[in-house]
Amino acid sequence: MTKERALRFGRAQHLIGVAGLPAAAAPTGSVGIIVLNAGMVYRAGPFRLHVEITRRLNACGYPTLRFDLSTLGDSGASNESQSRAHQIRADVADAMSLLASHAGCTRFVLLGLCSGAQNAHIVTVDEPRVAGAIFLDGYAYRTLGFHLRHYLPRLRSAARWHRFISRKLQAAANQRGDDVFAVSFPPRNQVQRELTAMLDRGLRLHFIYSGGVTRYFNHPRQFRECFGRLADRPEISARLFGGTDHTYALQVDRQRLLQDIEAWLQRNFPTYGGSTA
Amino acid sequence: MIRSHRVYRQLADALAQQGIAALRFDYYGTGDSAGDSDEVDWARCLADMVAAAGELRARSGCTRLIGFGARLGGSIALNAAATARLSELLLWDPVMDGGQYVAALDVLQDALRVDPMRFGEPRTREDAAGQWLGFPVGACLRRQLDTWRAAPPPMPVRVFDSMPPTATHDWNVLLGDAVNVTELPTAASWDELDRLEHAILSPDLIRAVGDHLRVAA
Repeated sequence: MTKERALRFGRAQHLIGVAGLPAAAAPTGSVGIIVLNAGMVYRAGPFRLHVEITRRLNACGYPTLRFDLSTLGDSGASNESQSRAHQIRADVADAMSLLASHAGCTRFVLLGLCSGAQNAHIVTVDEPRVAGAIFLDGYAYRTLGFHLRHYLPRLRSAARWHRFISRKLQAAANQRGDDVFAVSFPPRNQVQRELTAMLDRGLRLHFIYSGGVTRYFNHPRQFRECFGRLADRPEISARLFGGTDHTYALQVDRQRLLQDIEAWLQRNFPTYGGSTA
Repeated sequence: MIRSHRVYRQLADALAQQGIAALRFDYYGTGDSAGDSDEVDWARCLADMVAAAGELRARSGCTRLIGFGARLGGSIALNAAATARLSELLLWDPVMDGGQYVAALDVLQDALRVDPMRFGEPRTREDAAGQWLGFPVGACLRRQLDTWRAAPPPMPVRVFDSMPPTATHDWNVLLGDAVNVTELPTAASWDELDRLEHAILSPDLIRAVGDHLRVAA
C-alpha cells in the first residue's frame, strides 16, 4: 500500500511536492524517482500524466516525488540571486534530500517531459546522486536522414503536402508567442560530450520521443545519426512512439508510455519484493 | 483543473492577502487527490465539496463561507451549496446544462483525434473513445452530467462572465432574477484545442472577485 504525502520543503521552504512512498522501506542504495515539471504545467503533469506515472511506479515499489520547481505550480521563489540553471539544480537537490529522508533512497532517476527533460539533463550533468534519467522529448538534432525522411514522402504524396501545409497554416494562425513548451537546445557537440560523461559515470539513460516532435525527430535510427557511437553503448537507449502527440493526450498512448518507463526501470533498477535495489 | 490550477492559486493568494481564508482542493480522481480520472463521480464531487467546506470551517473558524467555482466547478458549487451551508456563490462561466456540455465535449474530443496540430495522422475513434480532452471519463459521470441542469440556489449568486461573444448566456433566465453578473473584458480559452496544455489565466477575474469581496466586507 502506497502512501502519498503533500510536502513543503526546500532550502527556503518554498517548494511543494507530493511524495509517493511504498509501504516497504527502501534498502540502502535503492533508487527514488523524481518527476520534473513539463513546461509551465504544475506537478500533476499534462492530463495528470505525472500522477499516473508516479502511482504506477509506486505500485512497483519505487518511491517517487512529483514537485513544482521554484515559481511554478504551488512553489514560491527562493529569493536567491542566481541563474535559472543554478536554481533548478538546487531545487532538484532539495527534492532528492527530501525523498532520501522519507524513503531512504540514496540514488535517483530523474524523469521529465520537454523542458522537464532539459532540466533533467542540466541536473544530471554534475549531480552525483543521479543514477539515471528518462528524457521525454529530450534533445535530438535534425540530420540528413531526418530531412530525407521528412521531405521525400511529401514529394510523392498530394495528401501529405495538404496535411503539411494545413499544419503550417494552422501553426501560423495559432502563433500567439506563448508556447507553453518552448525550449531551445544547446549545440549538439556539447550535449554529446555531456551524455558521454554521464555514461562514463555509470548512469543509465533512456530517451523517449513522441510523435509530437516530428519537426526534429522522425525515426528511431535518428538517435544514432545524432549522437554517433554513443548510441551503441548499452547504458543508453532510445525509442520513438510515432503517432502520439507531445503530451500523450490519449489514454492508450499514456499506457504505452507508462509500460515502457516501467519496463526500462525494472531492467535497469529492478525492484525486489516491493523495494528497489 | 490542471489548466485552472494557476488561477486558483493566484486567487487564493490574493484573497489571503485581503485577510480572507481560502481553501482550494481537488475532487476525488482529479489533480493530486486519490482516485483515477475515470472514477470521477458527480455525487462524490458534491460530497467532496461539503467535506472541503467543513474543513475550511474547522481550520479557519470562520462562520460565513462563500463558494467559488469555474465551469463545472461552478455547477458543483450550485448543486452542493445548500448542503455545504454556503452563504454566497461566485461562479466563473459555470456550466448550466449538462447535456449540452456533454455534447460539446464529444464534438471537441472528435476534433482532437483528427487535429493535424496534435497528431501526424488522424487517430481512430476507438483510441479516443471514453475520454474528454485528455482525461478518461467513466460512463457513470457521463450519464450523471447528461441529465444535470442548473437550478437557482437559495443564496445570492454572482456570475463572472468571460464566455466568448458567440456563446449567448442569459444567466438570469438560467439562475433567476437574483443573480448578478460581472462581465470580464477578456474571454477565457476554455474550449480551444490548441490550448489544452496552457494555463487559464485571468487577472480580470482575480481583480473582480477581490473587488466584490472587498465591497461585500
